[in-house]
Amino acid sequence: METCLDFLSLLILVSSFVLVSSKRISSYITAFKMQSLVLAVAAGLLGIHNLFVEGLPDVLILCVFIVILKVVYIPRLLRTTYQKVEYRVEKDFFLNIPISILICAGLVLLTYFCLYNLEGILSGHLRFYFMNSLSVVLIGLFFMITRKKAIGQIVGFLVLENGMFTMALLSYGMPFIIDLGILVDLLTAVMIMGMLVFRINETFESIDINRLRKLRG
Amino acid sequence: MNTVLYILIQLGVFVLLAPLVNGVIKKVKAFSQKRKGPPLAQLYYDLSKLLKKDCVISDTASWVFTAAPYIFLVTTLLAALFVPVTVFLQPFSFQGDIILAIYILALGRFFMTLAGLDTGSTFGGMGSSREMMIASLMEPALLVAVLTLGLHSGSTSVFAIMHKGMEGVPYLFHPANILLFAAILIILLAETARIPVDDPATHLELTMVHEAMLLEYSGRHLALIELAASVKQLFFITVLANLFLPLEVFIHTDIHTIALILGLGLYFLKVMALTLLVALVELYTVKLRFFSVPNLAAASFALAFLGFIQYFVVGR
Amino acid sequence: MGLLILLIPLVTALLCWVFNDRKILHGINVLGSLFLLGNALWITARVQSEGVLTYPLFDHFFYLDCLNALILDTTLLVGFVTCFYSIGYLDHEYGTPQDLRKIKLFYSLTYTFIFTMVLTATTQNLGLMWIAIEATTLASVFLVGFSGTKHSIEAAWKYIIICSVGIALALLGIMFLYFSSSQALTGSRLSLNWLTLYENAGKLQGNVLKMAFIFILVGFGTKAGLVPMHTWLPDAHSEAPSPISALLSGVLLNNAMYGIIRFLSIVNKNMGSSVYTGRLLIFGGLLSIGAAALFILAQKDYKRLLAYSSVEHMGIIALSLGLYTPVSLFASLFHMVNHSFTKSMLFLTAGNVMLKYKTKEIASVTGLLKTMPLSGSAFLLGILAIAGLPPFSIFSSELNIILAAFKSGHFLTGTVFVFLLALAFGSITYALLKMFYGKEPENRMPAGEVHVYGVLSICVLLLFITCTGIYLPPFLKGLLDSASRIITGV
Repeated sequence: METCLDFLSLLILVSSFVLVSSKRISSYITAFKMQSLVLAVAAGLLGIHNLFVEGLPDVLILCVFIVILKVVYIPRLLRTTYQKVEYRVEKDFFLNIPISILICAGLVLLTYFCLYNLEGILSGHLRFYFMNSLSVVLIGLFFMITRKKAIGQIVGFLVLENGMFTMALLSYGMPFIIDLGILVDLLTAVMIMGMLVFRINETFESIDINRLRKLRG
Repeated sequence: MNTVLYILIQLGVFVLLAPLVNGVIKKVKAFSQKRKGPPLAQLYYDLSKLLKKDCVISDTASWVFTAAPYIFLVTTLLAALFVPVTVFLQPFSFQGDIILAIYILALGRFFMTLAGLDTGSTFGGMGSSREMMIASLMEPALLVAVLTLGLHSGSTSVFAIMHKGMEGVPYLFHPANILLFAAILIILLAETARIPVDDPATHLELTMVHEAMLLEYSGRHLALIELAASVKQLFFITVLANLFLPLEVFIHTDIHTIALILGLGLYFLKVMALTLLVALVELYTVKLRFFSVPNLAAASFALAFLGFIQYFVVGR
Repeated sequence: MGLLILLIPLVTALLCWVFNDRKILHGINVLGSLFLLGNALWITARVQSEGVLTYPLFDHFFYLDCLNALILDTTLLVGFVTCFYSIGYLDHEYGTPQDLRKIKLFYSLTYTFIFTMVLTATTQNLGLMWIAIEATTLASVFLVGFSGTKHSIEAAWKYIIICSVGIALALLGIMFLYFSSSQALTGSRLSLNWLTLYENAGKLQGNVLKMAFIFILVGFGTKAGLVPMHTWLPDAHSEAPSPISALLSGVLLNNAMYGIIRFLSIVNKNMGSSVYTGRLLIFGGLLSIGAAALFILAQKDYKRLLAYSSVEHMGIIALSLGLYTPVSLFASLFHMVNHSFTKSMLFLTAGNVMLKYKTKEIASVTGLLKTMPLSGSAFLLGILAIAGLPPFSIFSSELNIILAAFKSGHFLTGTVFVFLLALAFGSITYALLKMFYGKEPENRMPAGEVHVYGVLSICVLLLFITCTGIYLPPFLKGLLDSASRIITGV
């Protein structure tokens, strides 16, 4: 059980690397979908464990919500937005991929050093989970910074939230209602961002963030 | 006495098994395309045919051209000696022998590159420069992976790493190992010139990397190089098989000969399984544009690096 | 009865979609905000007499003590004045019958926004508070982009992205806080309620709490407008319609600061001294004041200038929170109230000016005192107030902060603070005073106010800030006193 969770949290980190090395918007969305799927599997495993050991179905319900929202609905929403809005295939990133991957590896290292100081408090496995989740958060943030298209920023934000969810799930977790509330908040945020991307496309004729530079100073 | 036996068995297995691996890969690819494909022993027939033929050597070639095939074969076989086919054979091993093996392979590659440049043909030079670039990109990943394995088992000798693997399942499913397996798989694809790095079945010289260096070779030289390339492929597969899947832990018998035979049988099965894996990867990916190969190298490095970090976090 | 305060804004927001007559919509709007205000005053009276107002529903998530009540009152008072103002604003800006749908959208979004802000101020469950603060961002995005121009869409995009990322980092901080508490408390006492955490603050783990505080400061600081996370603020506050700017600037920043204050009390109680948090807050505060003062010099748009002044005042509040003496805490809460009223008054007046002159540029606005005598003089007085001139209330709170800084031994901080305040004073007056004097603009527009609602609302606020500047009424003093005592726990 522990090794399974170890492996799944590692897979979430690897999938964020896969995200960084993707070149096209549809591959970002697929990478995010895969990451959410792994997260759902981890939640399912924990949920079943909780159900049999403590008799609480809450994590299992959370797993169902994660599947419905993050694996099915949000990628579909992003894909429809992307199809209606983007028709040019152009270079989307400021940094080329090998350098991005190296910087992400550096971010993982940074997380390790930061958590190293909390050694007495976090036991081995917990430190592992924290490190992976925090690295995913930083990688999501990095992804948001280095993409030129608005949808790239939305996907980066979603990956950041995925990282937080992993941390909430694999450490002592958050109260169940709060987790649900966070999911609903996330869904609303993505819907609103999607609507805004439409408006941006209407007003600016493209979703290139570089064009949004009129307000300065 | 033991050493001589070891060398004989090791070399024999490698030289005899290597062409079969190639045959299996081609057969699997043919089946997926609903063809019958060449017979499994095709590379054996090719090698015996080539050994009987004459060599045609260009006038402008120097001694490097004629010496390179021999050096390539010798270095590959020498490197293969460091990776025992089964843990029941007593090899000559010492600290750092895996790193020595990697750099002996690099020596062979160096001479092949020179030979590609030697004839003065454009395609040879192009293949050489590409081969060098890919090799230099893949090297950090390979070293980080190997060093992590060494750290994990306390020594960088292959035999010691294999012995550590005999501890069983906790070692196998350590998260670091899974990542390193993936990293070394990508390096295997790059070093043995397989899709997604280089298509071995292509006839378009502009897309060749490894084949371009061999364009000028014929006769017994070509036979030696083909054999050496397949032995190098088997070397990497053996690394994957024996360092990451030490299934010999399931053999519990005291009689050494029976253990040896069972070990060899298990090795054969592992190699076939991994060959199947390589063939499947070749089927389901496409050849990358050459300037996208650094992306693949960076991905492999990231995986190896993550394996390294995970080893530190989770501990021994 | 107290729970009505959560229901009223939702009901009002829904009712706005039902009716189709402009006058009825305006009427619902005013009635809704009036009921909210009444409810808030009732709650404040209860809290002052009983100390705490809470219901056992859902593990006491609804919880009001004096600190909460203060924030709630400020929110709803400014909300009431703003809603009153927006009647005239909407009638002028969106006067045609086709714009009726826009008015409905405006009112329902505004009331959803007010609901989320009320939720932030009335809950003690830190996770629910986080959800509410994130919801304020989501509810106000379309309000910021309401006018649909290129600039406002850009401002809305920046707003949602930067604030969402910031608030996600704050979530990380809350998770660390929960984690540190889960090691200390077990079983049924494990919760995110502020009261439980505060009582057991000594048992929480110090190192994890330190990390949690940094994340919370960065996260909620993004929403509160501390430098260097403030980059969304000038854009969003200047591009939104004026009543929304008043709400955003006056109220929302306060709510974000309130989130930081709740954490501050837990962390300081755990660490026993305020040195760690104090250093961070003082540094953030001074940086905000300095950066804002410098940026104000370069502004060409008067609403953007007012937004930067908000950044400056949030820096002042952060600074005084960092000093953490009873005087400075009292002053910081007082400053929050003062800043709300002054800034919303300024934004509403700026709205009046914009309705008349149809431009947001400082250079195009001249002769304000002649064209709009009432709004013009209110604007002038407001600018002097926000820059820190007596007899307005901002002067008294700033003076208290300076005194607290020097009394508690932070001499360097105090000196830098005074210097920066002077710099800000100079920048604001230099940039804006040319608007009031001089010749009237060429296109002769009729002198006089645009709408009566505008004048009434700004007069009420102006009266308030003048009165509190001269004489602090005892009930307000008592409220501020008890609120600052809740923070330190003394």
